Amino acid sequence: MLGWFLQKRKMGKDEVPLITRRTTRSSSATAISTKNNVVESTTSTNICSPSPIDLLYGGEPIDLDVLLSNFPGRHPQIRELLQILGPLNAPMLPVFVYGGPSTGKTGILLQLFRHLNRPFVYSSCRTCYSPRILFESVLNQLSYHQKNSTNGYSSVKRCEKPSDFVNFLREALVGIVKSLKENRRKSKSSKKLERSIDGNMVYLIFDKLELVKDWDKSSTILPLLFNLDSMLNIPEVGLIFISSTPPDTFYSSMGYIEPIPLYFPTYNEDDLRQILVRNQANPKLYSSFLDVVLRPFCRITRRLDELSAVFSPLFIEYCKPLNDLAIVPNEDLKRKLFSNLQPHISLFLNETFRVLSQSSLGAERTKDGEPRGSKSKVGTCEDSDELDFHMSTSAKYLLISAFLASRNPATLDASFFDSRGGSADGRKRRRKPSEMAKGQKEAEEQELLSKGPGSFPLERLLAIFQCITSVAEDSLGEEVQEEDSLEVEGQNNPLMSDVLLQLSTLCNANFIVKGGTCPLEGSTRYRSVVSEDLALKVAKSVKFPLAKYVYRR
Amino acid sequence: MVLQNYDVILFLCSKLKFIVSSSVTEACNNSVLLLGPRGTGKVAVLELVLEDLLLEYPDMITLSGGVVFQIRLNGLLHSDDNSALKEIARQLCVEHQLVFSKMASFDDNSEFMIAMLRECGLAHKTVVFVLDEFDLFTQGKQRLLYALLDAMQSVTSQAVFIGVSCRLDADQLLEKRVKSRFSHRKLLFLPPSEEEIYRLLDHVLSLPVDSNLPHDYAMEFNAKLHSMFSDERFRQIIDSFMNFSPTVRHLVKFLFRAVSDMDLKLSNLSFENFKSAISSLQRQPKMECLRDCSILELYILVCMKRLEVKEQNSYSFSAVMKEYKSIHDSFQTSDYYSQDVCLRAFEHILQRGLVCFADGRGRIQSTEFRPVKLLISFAELSQGLKAHHLCPAILQKLAA
Repeated sequence: MLGWFLQKRKMGKDEVPLITRRTTRSSSATAISTKNNVVESTTSTNICSPSPIDLLYGGEPIDLDVLLSNFPGRHPQIRELLQILGPLNAPMLPVFVYGGPSTGKTGILLQLFRHLNRPFVYSSCRTCYSPRILFESVLNQLSYHQKNSTNGYSSVKRCEKPSDFVNFLREALVGIVKSLKENRRKSKSSKKLERSIDGNMVYLIFDKLELVKDWDKSSTILPLLFNLDSMLNIPEVGLIFISSTPPDTFYSSMGYIEPIPLYFPTYNEDDLRQILVRNQANPKLYSSFLDVVLRPFCRITRRLDELSAVFSPLFIEYCKPLNDLAIVPNEDLKRKLFSNLQPHISLFLNETFRVLSQSSLGAERTKDGEPRGSKSKVGTCEDSDELDFHMSTSAKYLLISAFLASRNPATLDASFFDSRGGSADGRKRRRKPSEMAKGQKEAEEQELLSKGPGSFPLERLLAIFQCITSVAEDSLGEEVQEEDSLEVEGQNNPLMSDVLLQLSTLCNANFIVKGGTCPLEGSTRYRSVVSEDLALKVAKSVKFPLAKYVYRR
Repeated sequence: MVLQNYDVILFLCSKLKFIVSSSVTEACNNSVLLLGPRGTGKVAVLELVLEDLLLEYPDMITLSGGVVFQIRLNGLLHSDDNSALKEIARQLCVEHQLVFSKMASFDDNSEFMIAMLRECGLAHKTVVFVLDEFDLFTQGKQRLLYALLDAMQSVTSQAVFIGVSCRLDADQLLEKRVKSRFSHRKLLFLPPSEEEIYRLLDHVLSLPVDSNLPHDYAMEFNAKLHSMFSDERFRQIIDSFMNFSPTVRHLVKFLFRAVSDMDLKLSNLSFENFKSAISSLQRQPKMECLRDCSILELYILVCMKRLEVKEQNSYSFSAVMKEYKSIHDSFQTSDYYSQDVCLRAFEHILQRGLVCFADGRGRIQSTEFRPVKLLISFAELSQGLKAHHLCPAILQKLAA
């Protein structure tokens, strides 16, 4: 997919493609190419009357060889797709294209339609995230309607119900098929300078179908889509579904005749190597780099997007000792580069899925980049203990209290926080536990930890918060304070009103989630979902001794 | 037509035709249910019958068309009473070239429908109501069904009510008052038997001899086809197809796939076309998913399997991580990665449908603490591990 994407950018800059309605109407500078649109340079804006040409893929059609070479390792799938789509005007049964993410399904289909020069309607269920938007998007494309400021970004028809959708769709498709036949007759008589369309068929492509399963109305929408061909009963319409989950995940109580499945397996190592080497400035150097890193990283993931994301910084590391990036490495050099890279490989292996923050991307890095600390699934860096986002002090204390409330069982609160605010250090539990009791306690604690963060009511959170802020005031008492005088005043009343606001902020930022209400008490319960590392960082930034308060084995 | 060689279908065809035509000739109302598995030809037979009738009774052409016209509703689209009546009114308007108002209310539409039924009855025009996915109309209060059947009984109308459903017990779903107005006629459609399948194959695939294709080519093609039908391997393929799902629509799908695989240079259907068609239609998606997994993902699956074997009722991702660590400690594998990497790999297999959360949709918990379960059986897992080209031997041992 990457290779294809980059190839298109290169291609687009050379030629002047024909403007069709499918491309964005920017009459000035070159637009960046996306999957659907094509790079266009400044030309006269062709105010062409809407016609089925708008349903073609923008740009010049490509040869089959170009298509095959753009997608290495996909020859069998492309061949199978061509067989199912068939020769010109051959009717087809619906097709279900599935395979893992970033295996080239959408890319290949769109390029295939570019090669075949047949009109199609593409809608992705990610951008059309509700049935109404999906219906209206399909109908807009079929009526060559574009949302712009003149019509107030509205659709050509308002369509919410499936029954309306099928009626409008049938009308629109019959109209298009008729106009395709007329165009053919006309073009036979006159010499056309415009682009000609091949065939009388129109194809509907529904992408990202797996997202429909999470919609509210999925139990009606999915059978509707799968039964669409028998409902419409128009032989000139072909339906293609693309999904990243296999067809058996779509089974429901409502049946349908299954579409023809077409499987895109994830790339194997040779294909990955071929794809990653494309569009590299120095293919031989990159290939020797891949010799070293591809196999170990393929043990973690075989997805192309994740591998390319982790290889780009690693390649920069690899090339560090080289002065000239264009040299072709010989065996000696390869060994040297490998030994230089070795320690970094294991480091990068454990951070394969890390999302780098903007500041560390692109710029030369002297140490490993700062992680985004918000979600626990992102890897944390061993070097840096700094928070890279800003929080007010009261919010930090609130976060720490929430973490403690979730982490410690409620019955031990009295032992951790005594009324004077100091850490009681569990004086009551000083007696030495016996071996068996210790083992039992450990097992219980482990079980508590593995159950996940507990929920707590608002009162407990506020109680802990008051406790630790009074501790903080005592410890800060000697220092000179010029900062926000709010919490150091020693009066808690102004602090309390802020706390509730801060709490809702933290909830919105997903540090604390709201659980269900307890039916007896009637108050909502909260749960903290930050990882221990983040809590430690936050505590460190306010110099709070978190370790003393956490219930540990 | 595909179905003309199909004896049972002929019988059903004639029965249905009798029902509808009796309503035309004797000016009475009738109702019937067409039941049968999906793809056995219910709607196809209906279309045939209606076409035939249109040819048979052209003499009573009134101002707005033929004697028989149909109103089609679909349970997927029109199960809501309001939209169903609106659709009926719209189709009536289209048929009689009236102007349809989108603003009409439910009562307006139902009055309009009853009035039209009366008029059609007086003009001796038969209205055929076809309700696809009939079982979906029986959800809720069945107001529409009652209104239709009641109108047919009380008003001087000439209507046939045909319900088409894949549920064989669709008539049990009717309410008492609807049931009493419904004649309990059911026509049962069954999938074809083996010899009928062969007859269908012959009919569909043979080239017509008197078309614009060259005569010699057509004869040669048909001869090759017939010799293939008696081939043992071909019969095995048809057997496996019959075990899978032998309805007519599936057969058409299978043949479409075989024909699209045809090599145009050879210009003949060969045995390989059918073989590749059957293998492309009978897939094992979970096996394919397993073959696509990376090694870390396989580790996680094996850990989950071991936890399930130990009969832990509900375990979460953190328990899986503990198992993973214990495997690493005892076997010193080289594949030990950090928690975050494993969590992401776990999310991948969640997406692919190999594992899922055991607590449904409700809970608001992070991924690590929700109970999870495997969606593949242990046998599938070990089969998939064997088929994986890079699976380390230790994993296969652990999964055994």
